[in-house]
Amino acid sequence: MSTRAKELITIAIIAVFSVVIYILKITGVMTGIEFSGTVSTIIIIAIFLALLVILIRTLRGHLVDRRTVFLFIAFSVALPLLMNISQKITVSGEVEQVYNAVIDLQPGSRVLVSFDYDPASAPELQPMAESFLRLCFMRDLKVIVMGLWPQGPQQAELAMSTILEDDEMKAKNIKYGIDYVNLGYQAGNEFVVQRMGSDFKSMFRKDYSGRAYDDLPLVKNVKNFSNIDYSFNLSAGYPGTQEWVQVAVDRYGLKMGGGNTAVQAPMMYTYLNAGQLEGLLGGMSGGAEFEYLANFTGKATKYMLSQSFAHMVVVAFIIIGNAAFFRSGREKKL
Amino acid sequence: MEHFALWLAAFLTLGIVSFLYKDNPWYKLCEAIFVGLSAGYWFVVLFWDNIYGKFWVGVFPLEEFDEAGREITAEPDYWLFVGAALGILMLMRLVPNIGWISRWPLAFIVGSTAGLYLINYFSSNMMRQVQGTIVPLFGAGYDASAYAIVGNIVVAVGTFAGLVYFFFSKEHRGVFGGTAKVGVFFLMLTFGASFGYTVMSRMSLLIGRMDFLLGDWLGMIK
Amino acid sequence: MLARLPKNLPGGVSLILPFLFICFSFSPVLSQGIEAEVDTLDPAVPDSELVVAAPVTSLIASDYKYDNGEVIELSWVPSIDDQLVGGNVIGYSLYRSENDGEPTLIAELLPGVNNYTDEGLSRLSTYRYTILTLTVNHETPSTMTAPITPEREWINFDKKYLFLIALIIGGSVMFFIETARRGKKLFVRKIAGLEAVDDAVGRATEMGRPILFIPGILDMDDVQTLAGLTILGRISRIIADYDTKIFMPVSRSLVMTAGRETIKAAYQAAGRPEKYSDDMVSYVTDEQFGYVAAVDGIMVREKPATVFLLGAFFAESLILAETGNYIGAIQIAGTARPAQLPFFIAACDFTLIGEELFAASAYLSDEPKALGSLKGQDVGKALAMVIIVVGVLAITIGQAWHVDFMMSLVDTLTNIFSTK
Repeated sequence: MSTRAKELITIAIIAVFSVVIYILKITGVMTGIEFSGTVSTIIIIAIFLALLVILIRTLRGHLVDRRTVFLFIAFSVALPLLMNISQKITVSGEVEQVYNAVIDLQPGSRVLVSFDYDPASAPELQPMAESFLRLCFMRDLKVIVMGLWPQGPQQAELAMSTILEDDEMKAKNIKYGIDYVNLGYQAGNEFVVQRMGSDFKSMFRKDYSGRAYDDLPLVKNVKNFSNIDYSFNLSAGYPGTQEWVQVAVDRYGLKMGGGNTAVQAPMMYTYLNAGQLEGLLGGMSGGAEFEYLANFTGKATKYMLSQSFAHMVVVAFIIIGNAAFFRSGREKKL
Repeated sequence: MEHFALWLAAFLTLGIVSFLYKDNPWYKLCEAIFVGLSAGYWFVVLFWDNIYGKFWVGVFPLEEFDEAGREITAEPDYWLFVGAALGILMLMRLVPNIGWISRWPLAFIVGSTAGLYLINYFSSNMMRQVQGTIVPLFGAGYDASAYAIVGNIVVAVGTFAGLVYFFFSKEHRGVFGGTAKVGVFFLMLTFGASFGYTVMSRMSLLIGRMDFLLGDWLGMIK
Repeated sequence: MLARLPKNLPGGVSLILPFLFICFSFSPVLSQGIEAEVDTLDPAVPDSELVVAAPVTSLIASDYKYDNGEVIELSWVPSIDDQLVGGNVIGYSLYRSENDGEPTLIAELLPGVNNYTDEGLSRLSTYRYTILTLTVNHETPSTMTAPITPEREWINFDKKYLFLIALIIGGSVMFFIETARRGKKLFVRKIAGLEAVDDAVGRATEMGRPILFIPGILDMDDVQTLAGLTILGRISRIIADYDTKIFMPVSRSLVMTAGRETIKAAYQAAGRPEKYSDDMVSYVTDEQFGYVAAVDGIMVREKPATVFLLGAFFAESLILAETGNYIGAIQIAGTARPAQLPFFIAACDFTLIGEELFAASAYLSDEPKALGSLKGQDVGKALAMVIIVVGVLAITIGQAWHVDFMMSLVDTLTNIFSTK
């Protein structure tokens, strides 16, 4: 059979499988799959045995195809999503700092949350956004949302709609304009932050839904950063936490914590160590730790098993890769 | 419509992922859709947020009223014409004979941004970081944990050695070269940690997509 | 006048003063009649049932230093009845009178609060303030502050050290630029990755395959993009000589313009302007991952022999470098984004780490401005190194052996480098 035929058959099998599962889903026959503890353990052992076989083959000189690595990573990420295993979460100091900063605020304090990311980074940052907003509302804090990325305020709306489905949140009777405000997106990157340092209204004459700034009771008396008690920046790149630190924190003395993608997080530790940032949530693990502190099981906690399992597989492949490297010696291209 | 949206999203996700197997027409189709859509999206965003939202509305403010019916129309900001003029000069490169004029606004952008960034970076990334590096290495009566003391030593030595590595006015030889090597060592350690974080980040993105495929699309996750 | 009395007074005076303030605060002359309107919340409450609290004292209004003349800072000593246990104060109301007009409420404050920053004022008006101490059924006014006008300052002297150090480094940059202009050779150490540039271009020529140049995803206002384009200038000169094919997909329209100009200038300098084509540089999209998808596609289809990744990169760095590695291209990368360097180091053959990118750009261009800037920055780095060594030694010795002189040196250095 030709390679092309094999590829087409594989695609056909995936398509048929997807259609069947989808039909089962919409007809209500299947409401989800959950592996028991025993099945989960068997799966984990099987994967690690397969990795051991790959290591032995590598040591014998049979290098593994890169697509095999991709396949293993796919399984190590997908299968734990179906497993019913809980994972212990250890809270780091910088996450606790964000939590304490929120807890220490008096009810009624104003918190500014800037959503500086887009859907591409949502898997990491959306769980942080949801748990942070949830904690703020649980503590009766007033939340002002904005974005330096065009899609940021949309992500904020998504987060709000998700947490407002929660019964505890419904009981809080959160009102737009009084308990929270979405000021929307403003173009201009860090220059927006700079202008906000003297006057919020000059940057946000209207909110996300088109209401005038002065018609929003929560913000009508908010002139600049001196009226903000704490700020939290969810950032996936530029403009993001670095720009907020440089302008809002260092120039205007805003108290700020950061929620960053894991790619960005290491760079933010310099600001954390120098006291420019008050707390940091780095990547999904940061989100999961925050959820643990906030006593809330969100998506970050649910995803952590996949994350940890995938990390173990990556570590295994690093060992396999190094075994191959030291066995064959590094080839010079030039 | 919801079913169509789910299947379309799944089709595009799997199409992009198929690149991991090899370059193929499915990936090319998804790539073309992505590039076209995003270019169009950014065109619309930049037009409505900058040309219309900033310039047009800034110069010709829309008549606005608050909820009490009071007029709150903003004052026109004629300074925006300066920016608009520079923008038009930028387009001059479409006219070959006077294309050189487009360098003026370019010079304005580069110069003004460099000036503004200078203060931000100098203050946050130099001054504050030097201040943050002044930490005690040890001390009697200094009640820091061993973890904190090791941390302080790493911060102080690492920063100093890193600066030596990035010092370009002296050849890396002798003690200076040795210190630079320590600097590279610290850099590589940092890069390793950073790499680890990125693996975490990439896995998170993959988990997000898997959650969509297995959960939202196929409904397999409880 | 009373409000401006110095804080550090002899013990006896400080005991008498609150009493005097309390007496004076009830004086109709000093409290300007506010109490006439708001003395008692509920007139129906008999005097015997009124809960009366002592007023706040030492209310001082002062101009906020180094602003645009829009802020006044207020501080006071809370009422002596403002106590957590057994206190009867439920809060304070802060009133402001503009140009001796009717006082208006500007803030309601919680018990225990002893300061307030009044913002958004005009430097053309004068302001006076008073505070009402609130109990459940009574309000006691404080004295009115003396009239004050917020002042605008043109220079922020809080930033004097920032200015001074910037001046030293800036001055050094100017000095070295001038020195380079006069023809003096400035020494810059060898940068490893640079030597590979010529070899990499040569390799592409030999193999008859194109070169791919990726200038990052930021615009022309980012210095990394500029440094990348300077190195592009050098690469372009070589490819113009060898007539090697180059592709430069970009994600910013301005970078496209600048890239075309750079390559065109190199072809003109090589005397082959007819070989230049605008198609060498093409705009893809501003969207980060849309750009990545397109560049990955180009890499796989065109199979360039050499890939240059020089500029500002974000999450796309690993995807691009990994694909380049996969197609077997020689890759030379450089960025000042610390988070992206690990991927370049892992997946590329040569990497210009951080400032090496700028140093390489200065070295290649041999421009007095670039070289002078590099040398000037070295002065800044030397300064930082000295301060770090002195500061770390001083704080270590100061804390270990309790040497006051060392601790005061640390305080001075911390003060200088604090930018708040």
